[in-house]
Amino acid sequence: MANRSVWSDNRFWQRSAAWVTGFAAILLIWLTFDTSMQISMGSDEDLKNGVTKRVPGPTVINYKITYEMDAKRGHEVPVIGEKELFFGRDDWSEEEAGALLHLGKLGSQAKNCMNCHTLLGNGAYYAPDLTKAWLDPAWGPEGSLQAMTGKPTKEEAMAEFLQHPSQYPTHERMMPNLGITAEEAKGLVAFLKHMSSIDTNGFPRNFGKIKGAVHGK
Amino acid sequence: MFEPFTDVIPSFFGWLNQGPLTLTIFLHTVIILPMIWIYFQEKKRIENEG
Repeated sequence: MANRSVWSDNRFWQRSAAWVTGFAAILLIWLTFDTSMQISMGSDEDLKNGVTKRVPGPTVINYKITYEMDAKRGHEVPVIGEKELFFGRDDWSEEEAGALLHLGKLGSQAKNCMNCHTLLGNGAYYAPDLTKAWLDPAWGPEGSLQAMTGKPTKEEAMAEFLQHPSQYPTHERMMPNLGITAEEAKGLVAFLKHMSSIDTNGFPRNFGKIKGAVHGK
Repeated sequence: MFEPFTDVIPSFFGWLNQGPLTLTIFLHTVIILPMIWIYFQEKKRIENEG
């Protein structure tokens, strides 16, 4: 029995498997808590004090959001700038903004946006990815989509389109009329604006290639 | 191989994600090194039994 190999010994493999499984389990539990900390929403205070959070608080709708290339990180990141009017106001309180975002989130679920669109990596690619839709220059002051609706601001143009999508031929795959009300449309636009301010590590990867999407390009 | 840490919120998992080899080196360290240790323990046990 002197030549019995460790490699053919059951106990060696059992102990190795127990180590790898146990270690991976601990790592994954830790990762779960780490992730929930990373994606916890910031507050109005954070925004006022310039504290950077991956997911800013709901009052981010009071601020201008731009998309800038971060050379150090190698991808674009949303940058929260100065105050900006959102549906004529830049003083949405934490409660009001939170309620509007909540309405938008429920609306996006009720109308099943993800059936065609992608939100933060979840959904379909039948229709455009909405993760950074707010930053799409087509909805900006010189954009074709804003011009098409004839509205003076980005948020009003988006809200108008959401209420009457079938009136505006945008694409071969036209968006159907989903019976979105004016108040729901407002919530959905707030939801989209907030979503665009989330630091998604550069996702969706090709969004920055849209002409004018990234500042100065 | 090692890049400066650039995550928004520093964390252990962020550190593991910074370069192409950081995760690989980490996993090899924590999986293979204890296996070498287990190997020699088991080898000793087999020799003693023999």
